Amino acid sequence: TGGVPRVPAPVTSVLSLAVTSEQIEHLHRRFKQLSQDQLTIRKENFDSIPDLEFNPIRGKIVHAFFDKRNLRQESDGLADEINFEDFLTIMSYFRPIEMNMDEEQLDRFRKEKLKFLFHMYDSDHDGKITLQEYRNVVEELLSGNPHLEKESARSIADGAMMEAASICVGQMGPDQVYEGITFEDFLKMWQGIDIETKMHVRFLNVDTIAHCY
Amino acid sequence: PGAAAMGTGTPPSPSGTAFEETRLHVFTLDYPHVQIPFEITLWILLASLAKIGFHLYHKLPSIVPESCLLILVGLLLGGIIFGAEEKSPPVMNSDVFFLYLLPPIVLDAGYFMPTRLFFENFGTIFWYAVVGTLWNAIGIGISLYGICQISAFGLTDITLLQNLLFGSLISAVDPVAVLAVFENIHVNEQLYILVFGESLLNDAITVVLYNLFKSFCQMRTIKVIDIFAGIANFFIVGIGGVLIGILLGFVAAFTTRFTHKIRVIEPLFVFLYSYLSYITAEMFHLSGIMAITACAMTMNKYVEENVSQKSYTTIKYFMKMLSSVSETLIFIFMGVSTVGKNHEWNWAFVSFTLLFCLIWRALGVFVLTQIINVFRTIPLTFKDQFIIAYGGLRGAICFSLVFLLPPAVFPRKKLFITAVIVVIFFTVFIQGITIRPLVEFLDVKRSNKKQPAVSEEIYNRFFDHVKTGIEDVCGHWGHNFWRDKFKKFDNKYLRRLLIRENQPKSSIVSLYKKLEIKHAIEMAESGMISKVPSSVSLSDYHEGKIKPLSPTEMENMREILTKNLYQIRHRTMSYNRHSLAADAGEKQAKEILIRRRHSLRESLRKTNSLSRERPVLAFSNDFF
Repeated sequence: TGGVPRVPAPVTSVLSLAVTSEQIEHLHRRFKQLSQDQLTIRKENFDSIPDLEFNPIRGKIVHAFFDKRNLRQESDGLADEINFEDFLTIMSYFRPIEMNMDEEQLDRFRKEKLKFLFHMYDSDHDGKITLQEYRNVVEELLSGNPHLEKESARSIADGAMMEAASICVGQMGPDQVYEGITFEDFLKMWQGIDIETKMHVRFLNVDTIAHCY
Repeated sequence: PGAAAMGTGTPPSPSGTAFEETRLHVFTLDYPHVQIPFEITLWILLASLAKIGFHLYHKLPSIVPESCLLILVGLLLGGIIFGAEEKSPPVMNSDVFFLYLLPPIVLDAGYFMPTRLFFENFGTIFWYAVVGTLWNAIGIGISLYGICQISAFGLTDITLLQNLLFGSLISAVDPVAVLAVFENIHVNEQLYILVFGESLLNDAITVVLYNLFKSFCQMRTIKVIDIFAGIANFFIVGIGGVLIGILLGFVAAFTTRFTHKIRVIEPLFVFLYSYLSYITAEMFHLSGIMAITACAMTMNKYVEENVSQKSYTTIKYFMKMLSSVSETLIFIFMGVSTVGKNHEWNWAFVSFTLLFCLIWRALGVFVLTQIINVFRTIPLTFKDQFIIAYGGLRGAICFSLVFLLPPAVFPRKKLFITAVIVVIFFTVFIQGITIRPLVEFLDVKRSNKKQPAVSEEIYNRFFDHVKTGIEDVCGHWGHNFWRDKFKKFDNKYLRRLLIRENQPKSSIVSLYKKLEIKHAIEMAESGMISKVPSSVSLSDYHEGKIKPLSPTEMENMREILTKNLYQIRHRTMSYNRHSLAADAGEKQAKEILIRRRHSLRESLRKTNSLSRERPVLAFSNDFF
């Protein structure tokens, strides 16, 4: 559905090489903890993580683990359960850059990470972030704040959407309507920010050895 | 300067009789009465006029940093005074520097420090500041001692301890010089915070080393216990300074909670408490710089919410003004103090000092970076290392410290002064001027001074939560974990105590509100507030002042306003907390104004009246 450019998925086995065996061990231990020694994890297993409760976008994060687009499967929609390989696949989105990456690899790396974020925003999987979805995101983000009314959250989302429109489409005529943020627009908006250095979890950097792709 | 009192009447002569009295003076000149404030005012006025002069030729500040020009002016002045009076001009008193001129600059820097970036890089900054300065001090001291041993240079009377002391005072990277040079070249924030943070934090170790070696020079024997005392002293100096700063920062925040009836003196509390933290730390011989930085960083968040908008603007502007004046004065005085008779030139000592400063700095940065890169998530590249090494500028702090050396213990004090001046001039002039072309040549990542956009803030928040969530899933305690914990503690206890009207705030909301207010002011100034209200006024109004509309009508209103605001709300002005130079912003505001008037004229021309083509907009006018 709807023109989402598919990034060529690298082979999963190569992907798991991007994290060292020590990290895989650690993640495996964690996986077993979460799954209670089963082979797969379901959504309910995430309830056992105490600190995650306080996260305002908890729902979206958990959802991201089961999103088939993130799991590099050709189909769409949500998986019911994921195995360890899938778990690793999701974690690999958060690996840090390595010193010896060239321009093309960096660019691909960046696109992958941004795609992950894009999928979190685009909840109905149609390849566009519409105003409603954006409002949803902002409301969730501000949901931890009891004093804030829904109205404020909506006006903020509207304001942000307008900024996005002005960046992506520029000057708009009075009757033009901005459909939604596509992935290309999303890339444009994040252009100034070096996401590849920010989007990583520290732990995944323990003792990385350079690998060739 | 010091003209005697003159009068039109005859001054009483010593041999005059007791009956002769002086007539009434119609006009008198009494300079000694006002001498001190008069001179201070003249100096400050001169400094500010010099600043105006530099900016007359607009290209000048971009090629040559202001610090160089100011030193040149100082040299000129010093030369004039020296020529006129045949004696050394008033050398900048170290007390004046440390007690009056330095605090405003550090306060300004600490208040506007990007705290998040600072804490993310804290380990690296601390590493460079402490270990780096130690490395430099001891390296320079020992190598200079080696040079002094060579009898051909005539330096054999300088002992090892004296060399070590000299090494410790010259290895201090100076925050004033760094600020002066880096503010024009706009390197990326990460690099800036590393160099600048280092220059702030190294004050602790500089103070300790300086006092340590100075005492050692005066002591007969040195025992091992003294060395341990030195190490303990370091911890006390550093941590003590920070604690004083934090404590007074909280007191200041607490005080501002109750100032809503006397808004006019609110800014005063900010300045008084920070200055108090500085001099309290100095009183105990702790690190004043760290105290005032800690105070400013602590105070910032809470004070901002308690004080009124006007007070906040006052604080910002006054702080910037004070620090600017201080900086200017410091550089001019450095120039003035250079001219004079307290120099002793020795080719070997001076040139080797300079050489060793450069070599040890470069080596130090290189070696330390290799070690710290293991612990960093984003390793520092060679380019970064080069800029960090090159940005290690020396300035007024070493200058003042060298003047404080007791001449009884240091018979060769003049030699040291000369060497320090040469090093400072080299770093400020040569390194200061060449760093900009080097940054461009090396293509170092520059800071993208983008305007803060609400969408960006939303992304950043979203991002933080994603990262925290993933870290929770991984079972890993990262930076985000600690930051989260601190935020919770902050919300639960600190904010309740220190902020008057405590509502849990979101950075997204506050940024949005700030931009809305700016936008509203902009629109009011341009006279276009009548036609299209912004959505903030929409949500404020609809509470109870007008007849209620059904939700669907409200929906329509919203949609239409949203669409129409596309044309008008192009971009909002930048709200850059680090500098108040709004040159770009003003130009942009003018541009927006022109575009708006143009678009309004266009639509008027097209439709012949605003209301006919847009019936619903007319409806909205009735509504408001």
